[in-house]
Amino acid sequence: MESKKTGSVVVIGGGISGMLSALDLANSGFYVYLVEKGPSIGGVMAQLDKTFPTNDCAM
Amino acid sequence: MEILKKPRYVREDRCIACGACTEKCPGKFDDGYNADLKTRTAIYVEYPQAVPLKYAINPDACLKLTKDKCGTCQEVCPADAIDYTMTEEKITIDTGSIILAPGFKPFDPSRFDNYQYAKFANVVTSMEFERLLSATGPTMGHVTTFPKLPAKPKKKKDKLLAEKRKDPKKIAWFQCVGSRDVNKCDNPYCSSVCCMYAVKEAIIAKEHAGKDLDCAIFFMDMRTPGKEFEKYYQNAKDKHGINFIRSRVHSVVEDSETGDLHIQYADEMGQIVRETYDMIVLSVGLEISAETRAFAEKFNIDLTESGFAKTGSFEPVTTSRDGIYVSGVFNNPKDIPESVLDASAAASAAGDALAEVRNTLTKEIPAVPETNVTGDRPAIGVFICDCGSNIAGVVDCPNVTEYAATLPYVTVAEETTYACSQDAQDKMVEIIKEKGLNRIVVAACTPKTHEPLFQETLKSAGLNKYLFEMTNIRNHNSWVHKNNPDIATEKAKDLVRMAVAKAGLAQPLKEEKIQVNASVMVVGGGLAGMVAARSLASQGYETHIIEKKDTLGGEALKLWKTAQGEDVQQHLSALIKEVQASDKIVVHTNTTLEGVDGFVGNFVSKLNTDGNTTELEHGIAVLATGAKALETTEYSLGQDDRIIPTLELDRMFKDNDPKLDQVQSALFIQCVGSREPERPYCSRVCCTHSVENAIALKEKNPDMDVFILYRDIRTYGERELLYKKAREKGVIFIRYEVTDKPQVKVEKDHVAVTVKDHVLNQPVTIQADLVTLATALVPRKDERLANFFKVPLNDEGFFVEKHAKLGPAEFATDGVFVAGSGHYPKPVNEAITQGRAAASRALTLLAKKDSLFTSGTIASVDVEKCSACGVCVSICPYNAPAFMTEGRFEGKADVNPVLCKGCGLCVASCRSGAIHLRGFDTNQIFSQIFALGETA
Amino acid sequence: MTEKNIKIVSFLCNWCSYGAADLAGVSRMEYPADIRVIRIPCSGRMSPKFILSALREGADAVWVSG
Repeated sequence: MESKKTGSVVVIGGGISGMLSALDLANSGFYVYLVEKGPSIGGVMAQLDKTFPTNDCAM
Repeated sequence: MEILKKPRYVREDRCIACGACTEKCPGKFDDGYNADLKTRTAIYVEYPQAVPLKYAINPDACLKLTKDKCGTCQEVCPADAIDYTMTEEKITIDTGSIILAPGFKPFDPSRFDNYQYAKFANVVTSMEFERLLSATGPTMGHVTTFPKLPAKPKKKKDKLLAEKRKDPKKIAWFQCVGSRDVNKCDNPYCSSVCCMYAVKEAIIAKEHAGKDLDCAIFFMDMRTPGKEFEKYYQNAKDKHGINFIRSRVHSVVEDSETGDLHIQYADEMGQIVRETYDMIVLSVGLEISAETRAFAEKFNIDLTESGFAKTGSFEPVTTSRDGIYVSGVFNNPKDIPESVLDASAAASAAGDALAEVRNTLTKEIPAVPETNVTGDRPAIGVFICDCGSNIAGVVDCPNVTEYAATLPYVTVAEETTYACSQDAQDKMVEIIKEKGLNRIVVAACTPKTHEPLFQETLKSAGLNKYLFEMTNIRNHNSWVHKNNPDIATEKAKDLVRMAVAKAGLAQPLKEEKIQVNASVMVVGGGLAGMVAARSLASQGYETHIIEKKDTLGGEALKLWKTAQGEDVQQHLSALIKEVQASDKIVVHTNTTLEGVDGFVGNFVSKLNTDGNTTELEHGIAVLATGAKALETTEYSLGQDDRIIPTLELDRMFKDNDPKLDQVQSALFIQCVGSREPERPYCSRVCCTHSVENAIALKEKNPDMDVFILYRDIRTYGERELLYKKAREKGVIFIRYEVTDKPQVKVEKDHVAVTVKDHVLNQPVTIQADLVTLATALVPRKDERLANFFKVPLNDEGFFVEKHAKLGPAEFATDGVFVAGSGHYPKPVNEAITQGRAAASRALTLLAKKDSLFTSGTIASVDVEKCSACGVCVSICPYNAPAFMTEGRFEGKADVNPVLCKGCGLCVASCRSGAIHLRGFDTNQIFSQIFALGETA
Repeated sequence: MTEKNIKIVSFLCNWCSYGAADLAGVSRMEYPADIRVIRIPCSGRMSPKFILSALREGADAVWVSG
């Protein structure tokens, strides 16, 4: 790597995985851009009723 | 990189999510959130809890934007948030790393003519069924047939159909729709999640409908290889009475009268069975959309044939291109906890690559010095929010404001249109300063979302953020009593009076700074532990690896190849070298842990290295103690050297053992010690491992007879391709029942294995030269270690993580993390993912070194009153109270502010009334109760 | 209003029931206006004294939820 590194990360996709990547990075000292194609974050998990194997509410 | 920002047509800075716009909106389109089971208006919010909770307009459905008619939403919006002139924006970002987490698309079964999903009303997808079960779904959780009909049909045709609508009595799930299938679609992989979600949907459906509902799941292999999954599956069978039928249903015929569905299938004995169901749920797989593939092409990263990102087992979140990482289902089909692990692992990988520029772009908000208000007479400011018409439309806000001004200690009462808007906040700061307010009450929406915002406002006005009280006159009042404005106004007054009474007693609270020792102890020098240590070291933190053996590497030292065919020893020795060469990592071999004191940020551990005891101070701990193969004598293991465990076969491959050349007939027995009453879990790795070794034997000698005796083949994700390859190479798979296990007899020339063939329904005897037993993986079940860190173990001895879904790499004990097979058996790539994830989670704590504070709302002991009875010490779930061991008050209780979560259990339990919960103290709660007793 | 106004004091746990009451509002459900919510950090914070005191102050019922 010759060019100077930038202390920011772009995360593409605002589902459960993207959101948590973004949170971890932001909380450890990086500037994060979270990019989501829809009008809100949450992804497919927000559509689920319950989650296995604990039957917790997905929301 | 360049990002295209699509217009929302609603100004986020103005929208207050009141919903007035949707009431009159004439545009309609399919509600994707509800799996298109209903329609929604063109101006919409995806779901009530959406973040950001701001409306958006779908430009394809909006009449104003398509035909320049309408414009109603702009007229009715009380916040003037609608802007039809918004356009696309191009944003250019300079970035160090990129993480791709685009997710998946549920498989669309419309093209399967045999199930007629597109035509038959009662054939639904699992995603649609998920919405039918949901209380926020189109039927509010009530499962009915003809689910796509509107609740109140208007069209004549729909009305006729709606008469046939009923509560289903029989529902069937068809597994592997769009997965493990190359005939009807091109998805050879297993989607990994469908077996479990089908079981879940069946259980929940039965919970909703009661005992009368008959649920059947038609499957090929039941794949429940995750933590606590096998028990869930067994419970579904035994406790919930769900039928599991091993059969692939060929086709579905609809009864044109009733809409019922007739099916025909061959049962396990080959008998044709005919049945009728009210509803059929297609368990659709996870698919990478064409859009995502095209997007991957833009990034120029390699994909597998099925469109998933190509990653290696040793760098499981790193794509083929430098600086681009991947996480979630795009990185192979996976469930939520695995996606969560991927997320943290990707953050760790992206962060490691940018370690030297960490903290260069983040910004700190300058703090305003705090005014000392101790001893001052309360001067309360009350701010009543109209929330546009959301509150003011029901509650008489001017009246409430007037009333608030008459309450004791109230200096100022103000009505504001939107208390949360920036200008209102600025004004609040101004008023606080001007009038010298020292307590603030906001009557608006919910403190759960808005309390932090107002607390920041207090801080910027120089007030301690705990001098604040919020009361909810919207969600708990105007929104739920909209037809009773008078009563709602009275209620608002009551709520304001209660809040003012409590605020008068508010004290400035201190948040104690938590000192974080910036070094880390990793227990276990296997793959997961080493990966966690390497990542933390690369971020500059001193890391100690505690390994009880004399070498690093753990169980991975015994492995030959990964599921992707990589040489384990080659990669492992490179990793060991890297760890040993790091000047930030201290490796303690031949070392055991003898004791741990302290708490997050401040642990002191006693280490024993060859009899010498030393102390190690560390802020964080990672437990990566791993698992090992079960030692058993089942199937004559240990009695004959032709009967070996899996790891011995790996050793033979690694060492190129000449004995392998002699083998003419090899046989594998799966589930040796797994999925049995004694060990009711699936060991997850064995199916893939045996299939992979079977292929290697076939490749070595194509004439060799290779058999695998199994219960369910669980080659999840793209591991399924190995299963397919093994069958193509002529490996013979014979299924057995746990109630009728294979019999192994050692004979002179061979080992005779007798098993009942599931196709012939006859016992067959196979003469094998080599029998490999896929022995279970068992945890080390270190109760002492668990006690040291106060972390729980499950019945089988695996560590119990903080949260099965959202906290898979950490414990409920702050500052302690988990990785590797000690958590649950896992293959190389997953152990490494979890190692990275644990490092990433740990880093979020370490990075806050100077800004980690306890909460202000915690318990504290009045030592004068404490009778040292010990109730608080024994009752606290977080071990926060303890007896003081020295000083004037020795023997009395003291609450550790770092461990206290502020639940108040000890406060309520204290017999002497010696414990106070700051922010929710007894006198404050009483003041609310007393205030209620008064009348406005 | 001919009926007597009744008052129910509800102690709601911040993490579950309080949020549920918020959601009832978001979902625009309607229910009688007799409830006055006191937010507590956890139902473990509840003390019998709060219940007795609420009744003494004229509450017709006390509801603890968490």
